[in-house]
Amino acid sequence: MTADPVAQRLQKRLPVPYTEWLPELVRRNVGKWVDRRFHGYGIIEHISSTGDRVFTVKVGTPPNFRMSTETMRKFIDIADKLGIGGIKITRNGNLEILTDSLDKAVKIKEEVEKMGFPVGGWGPTLWSINSCTAFLTCTTAVVDAPSITKVLYDHLKPYFTGEVKLPAKLRINVSGCPSSCGGFTSDINIVGHYGDAPTYDPERVKLCLPRSAKALEAGHVPEVAEVCPTGAIKVYGKPDGTVGLDVIRSKCIACGRCRDVCDWMDFDESKIGVAILVGGKASNTGRGSMPSIQVIPWVPAIPPEYREIVAVVKKIIDVWRANAREGERIGDWIARVGMEQFYKLLEIPVTKWNKPVAISGEFGIRQFGPI
Amino acid sequence: MQVRVKKPLTVDEYAKQGMEMLKYYESGPWPSHVTELKKTKYPIEAYAAGLAAGKTMWAAGSAKIRYVYTGFIARRTRDGKISELHFRVWQPSGYLYSTEKLRKLMDFADKYGLGLLEIAGQQGLMIISIRPEVADEAVDYLRNVVGTDIGATGDTIRELAACVGPALCEFALYDTLEARDRFMTHPKIYEWMSNQLFPFKFKAKFSGCPFDCTRAVHRADFGFIGVWVGAPEVDQELLRKKIEAGEVDPARLAANCPSGAITWDPEKKELKIDGTRCKKSMHCIRAAYPAIKPGKERKIAVVVGGHVKGRFGGKMGKPLAVVNSVEEAMDWVVKTVESWTEYMEKGVVKHKDRIGDFIMKVGFKKYVTEILGLKEEKKPTLHPSLRAGAVLDDEERTMWANWASKLVEEYFGRRP
Ligand code: SF4
Ligand code: SF4
Ligand code: SF4
Repeated sequence: MTADPVAQRLQKRLPVPYTEWLPELVRRNVGKWVDRRFHGYGIIEHISSTGDRVFTVKVGTPPNFRMSTETMRKFIDIADKLGIGGIKITRNGNLEILTDSLDKAVKIKEEVEKMGFPVGGWGPTLWSINSCTAFLTCTTAVVDAPSITKVLYDHLKPYFTGEVKLPAKLRINVSGCPSSCGGFTSDINIVGHYGDAPTYDPERVKLCLPRSAKALEAGHVPEVAEVCPTGAIKVYGKPDGTVGLDVIRSKCIACGRCRDVCDWMDFDESKIGVAILVGGKASNTGRGSMPSIQVIPWVPAIPPEYREIVAVVKKIIDVWRANAREGERIGDWIARVGMEQFYKLLEIPVTKWNKPVAISGEFGIRQFGPI
Repeated sequence: MQVRVKKPLTVDEYAKQGMEMLKYYESGPWPSHVTELKKTKYPIEAYAAGLAAGKTMWAAGSAKIRYVYTGFIARRTRDGKISELHFRVWQPSGYLYSTEKLRKLMDFADKYGLGLLEIAGQQGLMIISIRPEVADEAVDYLRNVVGTDIGATGDTIRELAACVGPALCEFALYDTLEARDRFMTHPKIYEWMSNQLFPFKFKAKFSGCPFDCTRAVHRADFGFIGVWVGAPEVDQELLRKKIEAGEVDPARLAANCPSGAITWDPEKKELKIDGTRCKKSMHCIRAAYPAIKPGKERKIAVVVGGHVKGRFGGKMGKPLAVVNSVEEAMDWVVKTVESWTEYMEKGVVKHKDRIGDFIMKVGFKKYVTEILGLKEEKKPTLHPSLRAGAVLDDEERTMWANWASKLVEEYFGRRP
């Protein structure tokens, strides 16, 4: 046993119980909510059996949910001045400022909009665009998700505020690389990739390889090769006793896992683009939860305007708006009309990278059958 | 083909050009991340340079904090010019904060960091760039003043997500917040979370109802989703009132039920729901709440092996069991993690294999029956592997570029 008091850090100081973190009004009403009402697209009223009410005002935030403490403090001031002293951060990076009357909720909305932040993101609207950190922090990013997200938001803002109505909820994810940190359960999923097999910096890639070929003889497989799911990376001993690396292009599926563990795997930036996947959702509504599927393998990602990406996303939304029934999310709509019909409406060419897949069976809790 | 002049990939080479590009993102109707970054002491040139170069400037860095083995992210630019040390922070269940607590967190970010946060990554809150020389003190500040701790990174228990549940949602079928609190403080989980001993990361998510706000079906090694047994509960009286008020259309309610479980008797003005068919879509409940509510007998559906990152691509969760409480599943969680780690020692599981990959390798049936010692009740739906990306030749790339440029013309007009 060590006497070092710092060793206590091995016992995490966890933020439990959660009730300690709640604003007082919410703490009093945990588990007592009985009804809800909607006041436009960004204000929701929760009614408790005690008669208490909480109104939440949902605020859209900058790409990758980056916020200065300066701005956050302004929101906190609003939550104290006009609210009940509480803010909820949603899973999708929106802020919900809590208050106790509709009057105050409307005032909060005004104040927030004065700061240049939109209110909305509930009901048949764009809920949020989930962006990974990409060039802000990530070592594997291929395209910069936050700037793509900013451009998309600028074009799609009326869908967030509800000025233009959508058939149903819309969630968009932007991931900077094939690791797809945004996940596969969004209606439109944009994923950056190299458009080709990775290359590598021959000098620096050595940092990811054993120094001597002897290690290979002993059966060691360096991680950069080990993680490749298709065996596309070969490592071999060179005559001079060092280790070399090859990428077998025909085997590569551009999954990016090699780059995920070795910063010196590289790519040709003139070939970068994004794949576009559609139809994913987590919720069990409609057809149930579904993964999003790659329908457009590649369009170029050209900053600062990213016109190609914006145009494709707008087209998908327009075709969906024109064809879906009320309440039908993109995946539910495609499941009804069929992937082939979706391809036809968008005139998408079919290649080996986007063969329409018919998803059979059900996901999530529906796999249990009737409960 | 345009010939690019290769410049060395350094912040200095590209920053100027990048800073020009960043200006574009300070305009437009949506709040700008660049504007926010510029309000802080953030070294924005690294971001700018990345954008100009078409490559991220960041590579893995290193840092040491006494007795802290997870929760911080060290980065340095590839040219070594700038280094960063981000702190993940353990969040309270539900991410609902009193302003008093939030202010403490802001003080923390100002005192030890650059005044910048990522308020909600997939991993919860991240405080951007703690100054390395005060990192040690920062940990103690989080623990003693804020009342939480540095969070999770690497091959360990990661941020656990619970929906807001009973704190602010009428639909919650179990106390997701309490469940997350208990999960985190379970002796085994609590012990594991201080170290990085797993093959890869582990996540659990707690959703109160089938809307699944935390995306437990896909983004969790163990997902806990609230369900009820049988049919939703109908308050015929209240429903009739809602129908008379024009708030609910019973015929549409029946037509839109994805399992065809609902029938409406216009004579008797009665809505019947066949509980043996109901797929728990929440449709009727959302449309007619509180006249239609989830049934009274409540359970938790446990799905296992979902994830985004993993060796063989993303996966959706597989059906494990329907239980009465998260506690009932804790032994399975522990057994799963232990054998996942054991199989790594045996060489079957490789580094970066998620639990979903592990289950795929041993087979779902064997996992359920032999490793957990349960009866296999439900078979998972097989699905195409979830991934994105393509290896294209120049011809194919040109084809897609042309396809996209037609749409660009449609939305932006012809390029001059
Ligand atoms: S991108 Fe994926 S498939 Fe291609 S070499 Fe790297 S790890 Fe292998
Ligand atoms: S998952 Fe269900 S219970 Fe939880 S917040 Fe979402 S709607 Fe409410
Ligand atoms: S919850 Fe969904 S599946 Fe069940 S009865 Fe209502 S609409 Fe039908």
